[in-house]
Amino acid sequence: MENKGSFWSAFYEQLASLKFTIFILFALAVSSLIGTLLPQGMTEQELAMRYGPGAATWIDFFGLSDLYHAGWFRMLLLLLGINLVVCTLERLPKTVKLVRFREQQMDPQKLLKFANHAQFSTPLLWEQAEQALEKIVAREFGAIHHLEKSSTAYGAIAEKGRWSLLMVYVVHLSVLVVLLGALIGSLWGFKAFMNIPEGEALDSAHMIRGHGVVTLPFEVRLDHFDVSFYEKGMPKEYRSDLTIIENGQEVLKRSIRVNDPLTYRGITFYQASYGANLKHAEIEIQNVKSGAKHNLSLQLEEMVTIPETQSRIMAMQYQENFSGFGPALILAVFTEGEKPVASRVLLNHPEFHGNQIQDYHVRVLSTEQSRYTGLQVKQDPGVWVVWFGFIAMVLGIAATYYTSHRKLWVWASIGNPSTKVIIAGKVNKNSLAFEREFEHVCERLRTELRAGSENVEDATLKSRKKTIEVKKI
Amino acid sequence: MTSSLLLSIVTFAYLLCTVLYLSGVTFRRPSLLTAASAAGFGTLLVQTLAIGLRWKESYELGYGHAPFANLYESLVFGAWAIVLIYLILEFRTKQRALGFFPVLLAFMAMAYASFSPDIDSQIQPLVPALKSNWLIAHVVTCFLGYAAFAVSFGISITYMLRDSKLANPNPRGILALVPSPRRLDELNHQMILFGFLWLSVGIITGSVWANSAWGTYWSWDPKETWSLITWLVYAALLHARSLRGWSGRRVAKLSLLGFACVLFTYFGVNFLLSGLHSYAAK
Repeated sequence: MENKGSFWSAFYEQLASLKFTIFILFALAVSSLIGTLLPQGMTEQELAMRYGPGAATWIDFFGLSDLYHAGWFRMLLLLLGINLVVCTLERLPKTVKLVRFREQQMDPQKLLKFANHAQFSTPLLWEQAEQALEKIVAREFGAIHHLEKSSTAYGAIAEKGRWSLLMVYVVHLSVLVVLLGALIGSLWGFKAFMNIPEGEALDSAHMIRGHGVVTLPFEVRLDHFDVSFYEKGMPKEYRSDLTIIENGQEVLKRSIRVNDPLTYRGITFYQASYGANLKHAEIEIQNVKSGAKHNLSLQLEEMVTIPETQSRIMAMQYQENFSGFGPALILAVFTEGEKPVASRVLLNHPEFHGNQIQDYHVRVLSTEQSRYTGLQVKQDPGVWVVWFGFIAMVLGIAATYYTSHRKLWVWASIGNPSTKVIIAGKVNKNSLAFEREFEHVCERLRTELRAGSENVEDATLKSRKKTIEVKKI
Repeated sequence: MTSSLLLSIVTFAYLLCTVLYLSGVTFRRPSLLTAASAAGFGTLLVQTLAIGLRWKESYELGYGHAPFANLYESLVFGAWAIVLIYLILEFRTKQRALGFFPVLLAFMAMAYASFSPDIDSQIQPLVPALKSNWLIAHVVTCFLGYAAFAVSFGISITYMLRDSKLANPNPRGILALVPSPRRLDELNHQMILFGFLWLSVGIITGSVWANSAWGTYWSWDPKETWSLITWLVYAALLHARSLRGWSGRRVAKLSLLGFACVLFTYFGVNFLLSGLHSYAAK
């Protein structure tokens, strides 16, 4: 039992260690890097063709072709989350204690051991000296907390930015919030796409990952799709005019563009792509051997028998612009007892050698298409959680880095012939900037207290020298 | 006076600044460094004017968009951001001996933008994906981050040179005017913090933008992924710095690694990997 306990506590300590954090951050970086070098989303066959069957098996085994969704990558994200939680549990109570801590007494001898301290004497009367101290310290460091205030001794603390100690937790928790928002989105949201032909209304969308279909609680109709171009030929705008139809009623009409989506009942529609479906095509088909010529009218994915033969021909797909060669029609010829043969016929390039299938030379006389718009359809209830995390992260990082906890200790004791003053300061980070600030406060105090330079003792000299060095370099 | 003429002048002016900073440090002449600062400040003003003019010209062409829309414009803006951040650092620290690397990088960015045959310097209209108010916020914040990392890169190299002669830098040597390693480490840290903040804002604005353009705030597109890799490396650096014995040289090395990631996010992804940010390569 004893052993087990120490194993778990050692394990817990590891989880909470900074080295583990750095390891996780680098592990995430390296894995993400691998994901950008290996093409993502390839099928097993594509992988085997590209890397050979052996390598493909391994790539598949480690999920490298869909790395960012692989179990082990999610495990890394989970470990990052666990590390953040454990570190927070481990350190936050100590920090809260530190933030709440108010010391009750002051040991002037200890102040002399601080990295930032100065000591000098003042010829002013006790009350005047005390007043001057209060004035300067309050102006530079805010509210003063007195530990000692008698007619012979004066001890006070002033500090700024105590709360800045907590800001790092805001950053760490914001990372957790972002991860949580992503989790909510992946559990209760969906990402899908739908291609709506012009004039038609649809209520189903295909999931982007997997093969599922989402049925929307309303229909979306594409009234018109429009693409416009600049004079130079670059695309200027893609616009879909949509109508939402609910229970047979038109409830909303709106146009969407890239960067200007439409949200209805928590489901958002984004302009993602567009294309054309073939309505029908008139083709001229000529047997190069016999010279027989026929005109045929084809509809998409419908077999048409080639006259005087046993073969049939079908329009498989229409492409609006194939590799810059303009529109193309993919045709296939089916003959009983033979493998079907397909070819891509270029409409604007009749001389293209591919405009022939088996013995048939094909010329496309005319086509009629219907436009369709490709919409990305998304529901993500986690997105506001992510936004909240983002805002907290930015504010947290800014506050962590640009605020600090600065603390000033002041001690004075009445003496003969003059009053002695000790001042010391501490900061939780960026010590060089604080050194300058501390030096500035000391200078103000020296001036105000009319501390003679001959009264400046060793420690002050040393700290001054250091500052001079800093300024010079 | 067109913006392209002004930008050509700026390119050569940054070369002059580079020479001035280098000779100032080499010959230990603070007066040369002062001249370099003045030249750098003047060039920055001219460049600001040129960027503003290019913005105006795009309206005259009927396109009307901020000049952050292609590789040429982003290189020009990158150079501007590096010099701006360096000069602010110089002004705040009264420390002029660190200018060589920043202005050299700015000059290289400008020269590459101006002279590479692959880069089109024409003002192009915006493709639909870039037509968004997020364009300015996203580009500006990312480049503030990149630029701070570029300055940190220069400080890190200087640190490594300076640190190897820790005990006693030759008072007549090339490093005589350079701050102490401790001071360099502190400056480096501040630059990285600044860069990290803006890189975070840059990634976040990009993410919010992607959500309104493509319907997803994170799609593991190569550009996104590489910006995350960069973010993770600098996050690791910031955590490592608080480990015992990890400040100084190791942090400087990590900063070099981080800047390599920045360069890959910026150039490598455009040229070697394909993805949603492909318009940035033109």
